[in-house]
Amino acid sequence: MAAAGYTNPLRDARDRRIPRVPDPCALVVFGVTGDLARKKLLPAVYDLANRGLLPPGFALLGFSRRDWGDADFSQLAMESAQKGARTPWRDGVWERLAASIRFVPGAFDDDEAFDTLQQTLIELEDSHGIHGNAAFYLSIPPPAFPTVLKQMQRTGLADSGDRGWRRVVVEKPFGHDLASSRDLNQLVDSVFTADDVFRIDHYLGKETVQNLLAMRFANTLFEPIWNANFVDSVQITMAEDVGIGSRAGFYDGAGAARDVLQNHLLQLLALTAMEEPVSFDADSLRIEKVKVLGAISLPSDLHAYAVRGQYEAGWLAGERAIGYLEESDVPADSTTETYAAVRLGVETRRWGGVPFYLRTGKRLPRRVTEIAVTFKRAPHLPFPVTDTQELGRNQLVVRVQPDEGVTMRFGSKVPGTAMEVRDVSMDFLYGEAFTESSPEAYERLILDVLLGDATLFPRNLEVEASWRVLDPLEAFWVGSQPERYRAGTWGPAGSDAMLRRDGRAWRRP
Amino acid sequence: MTTLWDTTGKEIVEALSAERRSTGAVAFGLVLTLVAVVDERNVRSAIDAATTASMAHPCRTLMVVRRQPEADTPRLDAEISIGGTGGPGETIVLRMWGRLALHAESVVLPLLAPDAPVVTWWHGEPPPHISHDPLGVLADRRVTDSAAAADPPAALHARAHDYRPGDTDLAWPRLTGWRSLLAAAFDACPDAAGPVTVYAERKNPSAVLLAGWLGPRLRSDVAVEDSAGPGITEVRVAAAPGAGSEVPLLSVVRTDGRTAVLSRSGQPDRTLPLPRRERGDLLAEELRRLDADQVYAEALAAAFSLTELNDRPQHRRHVWRDIAEAPSERIGEFLPGVSDVRATGGHTDPSTVEETAREMLAADRADQAKAAAAVGDTTAAP
Repeated sequence: MAAAGYTNPLRDARDRRIPRVPDPCALVVFGVTGDLARKKLLPAVYDLANRGLLPPGFALLGFSRRDWGDADFSQLAMESAQKGARTPWRDGVWERLAASIRFVPGAFDDDEAFDTLQQTLIELEDSHGIHGNAAFYLSIPPPAFPTVLKQMQRTGLADSGDRGWRRVVVEKPFGHDLASSRDLNQLVDSVFTADDVFRIDHYLGKETVQNLLAMRFANTLFEPIWNANFVDSVQITMAEDVGIGSRAGFYDGAGAARDVLQNHLLQLLALTAMEEPVSFDADSLRIEKVKVLGAISLPSDLHAYAVRGQYEAGWLAGERAIGYLEESDVPADSTTETYAAVRLGVETRRWGGVPFYLRTGKRLPRRVTEIAVTFKRAPHLPFPVTDTQELGRNQLVVRVQPDEGVTMRFGSKVPGTAMEVRDVSMDFLYGEAFTESSPEAYERLILDVLLGDATLFPRNLEVEASWRVLDPLEAFWVGSQPERYRAGTWGPAGSDAMLRRDGRAWRRP
Repeated sequence: MTTLWDTTGKEIVEALSAERRSTGAVAFGLVLTLVAVVDERNVRSAIDAATTASMAHPCRTLMVVRRQPEADTPRLDAEISIGGTGGPGETIVLRMWGRLALHAESVVLPLLAPDAPVVTWWHGEPPPHISHDPLGVLADRRVTDSAAAADPPAALHARAHDYRPGDTDLAWPRLTGWRSLLAAAFDACPDAAGPVTVYAERKNPSAVLLAGWLGPRLRSDVAVEDSAGPGITEVRVAAAPGAGSEVPLLSVVRTDGRTAVLSRSGQPDRTLPLPRRERGDLLAEELRRLDADQVYAEALAAAFSLTELNDRPQHRRHVWRDIAEAPSERIGEFLPGVSDVRATGGHTDPSTVEETAREMLAADRADQAKAAAAVGDTTAAP
């Protein structure tokens, strides 16, 4: 840790070639043999090392209930990184990283294992000069949180002392309702300080989501029309083509609304609808997001404007898909929804009267996440009705994944002697205009954690505000049967009826 | 790919739009035009580098190959390719013979992507004065490579005198890895630094720049010493005088061009990747920023004891030089990238370069003052 008041003479804000590299530190991953760790975290760590974004003294610690040594873990990490890395494989980079990989075996209730972990960190201080800096990534099921956090409290792992920092990274779900999320927040905040808690919503690490802010606040073109005077409605979609896979244990009883709507969709809504932050730092962004989340209203007629569905067997992309109730470990009478759609309002001067339609679902025809802003029709069209029959409403679509980019749809004259106006699309593909190797969301987020930059992480106030939106909805749904929809279709009929009632239709993404 | 022999600029523009239409690349997100000045022998390697760079920044690449400027009849050949092996962008190789080579901008101008920034890159020996090359005058960013010159430090010296905001030299991105590593090392090293020694291959322009970067920032004397290479091999920072320590504060050693060992007093050695980078990577880094690099300008200024490079006007006035006046062995200075004449370089007397650069700067300053006066801005007047 540098002495107070010391500024590095070689750092210069104008020098944008030199990347931000964190202080020497350790990344401790709990549940390192899990799916997320193998598919995302370990490859992201390798990619960061390969891009030269990890500090000279960096150590990776795995903690898991396996009877393993450093070498076994190193082997797993290598296989995961080779499979999942986005940057080319370099043996040299791996060898150096592997030299700083440690594994601590143990169960979460095993006092001895945590003592060993503490001891390992102290050793790393000498060998890697990490100066007490450590980030703990809790890639574990939520019920294990209290045990692990209490262990960390007991051993003083969470205590940074007078030097260095200790941070904790929490994955969703952040509770299952307002009360439980409050309990969880209290628990985490009591062990770490609120500023050291990083809640990962990997959508916020995506380039396009950050570009949404750039698009809105760095341009003059969009802001004047970004309000109820011009916007007719907003649709936010997150569709997945996969089923629940092996996640039945977590998913059944939680459902699509808690799994996706509460976090990803409401965060996307907040970024779309929020006012301009006074500056682009974590606090200012949070203030605006909390404001808009607090202004969200549910429709008074929930019967008409909140739809949930459950997929049944069907065909998807040329393959047969089984129904939700046939998935392994799902009870035959489960009423858990795999599709949720709702109409929300944002009660501010900017958005009064503009419906925000949110939907998410599994086993939909394709994987896509997008925000579509539909504009009002021109108040007067000087063309004969027949000429503009095929003219829809102008639309601006932010594609979050895949094919990250922006599409604008507007009317244009069809070539020919007749005056015929039809919709055309103008496409901006992120990968086309900029680098193909834009960092993976997890890479960016892990780096931000190590740098202590909380801009892209939702804070507990936001999480609680989101639950406040969702709780009445969940209460309304209790005891009701989700509508069925066939796998490979765009959701239940009730969802289409919901938009038809308003004279609109879902966009086919 | 479309190949046009003995063609005109107009035909190229038409062929390009036909090619775009047939490949469906009509609404392509071109963000810039890269003009590469390259000699015939190096077209392949320049295309490779541009391809790597265009993976990161899809652009239209115009390769300007100047041949036999003394030929009697001007002639223009072109190859147009979109996508495919040339990366996601568009590549047009333009070969110009005869006096057309002196007027390459007449072919290039109509081919620039509309309202997108232009970056001109000289693949080979950079011209001592960019004002002599209209392809440099029309660019927003200019990238040279002094390491390609016969006498790299002299070429870098000329770059310093000729500097305008928006110029960079590939000697600078070659340093980025070193600079990142040194900056990271100093993050946790509040002790004052003593004299610094940079060891590098003889006549390595990057070492000169590194010294220019480190010196003023660490407030230390920086010496550059020769080593066997490759490139820069070591940076050693002594403890501040009076600290009572003979042990260096820190040192970074890289002898194999791939990995560096960072040693710091009181800490274990650390091995870190520090690879020498391909030209394509360097170019990609240059294309990432299209504004002036002030930190580079400061390092360049310090390396050659100049001041106020950042205050120079952005603009350059084209200075016409007819090749008829040039002795044939120095034609490369007037017309960079000419392959049929032995590139000699290093013949120009440094004091002449300085003198000419000073005159050009004065002319550009006068232009700037005139422009400022026209809009009533008195602050820019000298």
